[in-house]
Amino acid sequence: MTTETLRLVTPETPWRVRSKSQLVYIFIASTLPAALTFLIADQMKLAGLIALTIVFLPLQLLAASLAALITVGKRGILDAILTVSVLFLMLTMGFLLGSVALSLVQKGFKALSFHAIYQNSFYVTSVTSLEYGGLGHALVGTLVIVGIAVIFAVPIGIAVGVFLTETQSRMRGSVRFLSQAMTGLPSIVSGLFVFAFLYLTGWVQRSAILGSVALFLLMLPTIIRLSEEVLKLVPQELRYAALALGAPRHKAFFQVIFPAARSGIITTCLLGTARVIGETAPLIVLVTYLPSTNFNPLSGDMASIPTYIYSWLKFSTDLANQRAWGGALALMILVGVLFTLARFFGRKRF
Amino acid sequence: MAKSQESFDLVDLKLKVSGRGDRLFFGFSSVAAYFAFSLVFLIVIFLGNASFSTFKTQGLAFFTGSTWDDAAGVYQIFPMLVGSVLCSILGLLISAPISIAIAYFIEFMAPPRLAKALTNIVDLLAALPSIVIAIWGAFVFAPVAAQWAQIINNKLGFIPGLQNTSGTFVGSPFIAGWILAIMMTPIITSVCREIIGSVDKDLVSAALALGGTRFSTMRRVVIPTARGGITGGILLGLGRGLGETIAVLYVLNLVFIVNFNILENYGGSVAPMIAAYYGESSEVGVSALLAAGVALFLITLFVNLIAQIFVGRYEKKMAS
Repeated sequence: MTTETLRLVTPETPWRVRSKSQLVYIFIASTLPAALTFLIADQMKLAGLIALTIVFLPLQLLAASLAALITVGKRGILDAILTVSVLFLMLTMGFLLGSVALSLVQKGFKALSFHAIYQNSFYVTSVTSLEYGGLGHALVGTLVIVGIAVIFAVPIGIAVGVFLTETQSRMRGSVRFLSQAMTGLPSIVSGLFVFAFLYLTGWVQRSAILGSVALFLLMLPTIIRLSEEVLKLVPQELRYAALALGAPRHKAFFQVIFPAARSGIITTCLLGTARVIGETAPLIVLVTYLPSTNFNPLSGDMASIPTYIYSWLKFSTDLANQRAWGGALALMILVGVLFTLARFFGRKRF
Repeated sequence: MAKSQESFDLVDLKLKVSGRGDRLFFGFSSVAAYFAFSLVFLIVIFLGNASFSTFKTQGLAFFTGSTWDDAAGVYQIFPMLVGSVLCSILGLLISAPISIAIAYFIEFMAPPRLAKALTNIVDLLAALPSIVIAIWGAFVFAPVAAQWAQIINNKLGFIPGLQNTSGTFVGSPFIAGWILAIMMTPIITSVCREIIGSVDKDLVSAALALGGTRFSTMRRVVIPTARGGITGGILLGLGRGLGETIAVLYVLNLVFIVNFNILENYGGSVAPMIAAYYGESSEVGVSALLAAGVALFLITLFVNLIAQIFVGRYEKKMAS
């Protein structure tokens, strides 16, 4: 089939065409309120979100409604209000999140330096200068605790994904339903459960592995859902082809389906990791913070970046707070890196 | 996504499991699936077992009383339950409109490239660690929000629920509600975006071509089709808010007194209460905290199951 026979008709959208006078009105209606707000806020010394809410929003609503009334007529007013409200609500959230990002960089940057990445905080107190000590021990701890959780959650999560996509078991619906309901498992409950299940029963002594189990429980539902979606995206013809060639089903999976879904599976793992790497509550309950490095997950206390932040927040001296902000920035960078990698691997899809 | 799910089953092929490799492969996947299936029950059984003594000694007063005294052995969580619900509902009142607005913007107003970028940002925000929001909330947001609270109290303080007798505004459910709204927004947005995006685009174009305005299209076409799914998304957000621990711990002043005044400088919430009292409780106290965990788990599980049902029903409707 040549491409010529496939010429698509682009749908016309006459309601999107705007005349020149309309554009002028839109321009005025979208700049005038902002300028007025700026003036009024400056006069009355109002700050930030307050000025936006009590001055800008009513002004903008009025201006947009008037512009709509002139250009479209009465029908346009509700439209204008809808548009302005949507943009205003987005602006509010953007404002808050922008503030989060800005204060992270502003306050965390000082505490992050080259030596902060590999040094631990063994001799560091709440008044030690930032030239000494760092979060190396917490980084190691996070890698160990999260790493163990990932090593168990990924194969088990994918196996459940296989159960949901490659078999015809009647249990699929209930497995999907209950495992997805676990997505909302509060992180503190996960910690308490592991505490009751492994520690109170005396099966495992207090160590970092308890934290890994809690994180494992928290990331499992995410991995199940994403791996099911990824495996579903593999074209059905590939399965038929492999089976028609006489491959047993496990070989069809490992040699055809899994390689086809590999980039998606990698994305799944990275997103699942990003989701739990910042979990704090279960680690506070299960793993005691240790200011020095410990590589052994089976015995002794261990630090992790979330508990590193948590432990510095207890002191409320300036330097301790700065270290906490540094930890928060490092954590956010880790999440960002994982996420970017996930997007990078996830780009190639069917 | 929903459509392919229906046509997906390999029903036309009577595939058999044959050979040791296959049996091992499907055996492992079944074991994993049953493990995931049974986790909910495992949690209820083990947490329930460890906290059974508390339920026995405290009786129903555990849920209805307002005293928490580790030394006297009295454990009652009513103010915390009330506070959890109050803060989460406040969070929803803020985050639900914002999330629906973002979802609407992404699906109907933004140019494709911006829409894609925003979708990515929302996904990234879903992984925003709560300790990061906690530290920002405690140092940056709480002082600012306390000023807002003061202004609201000055102007509207005569309305019941907006009163404040203490004169300080830090640590109020109002601030906790904003923090929860930030934690809830990504999840509600991503569900709403998928739901609104799955409304038939031709239907929307048809409504606009018939002379409908953007508002009437939203009101008469998008909202009626997507209502169930959006409800599910909001409930998922509620579940998230009820279980949020660390971020609330730093901005809410936990006091065991029932408080409905959102601007008052104290409040309650179950999850942060567990984290706050965990380190300093006796053995009996820890058992009581586990009991609070059971209550929290059952509540969030209930909310999430209902949310799943709503979203699932919507997906089925879309598929057919």
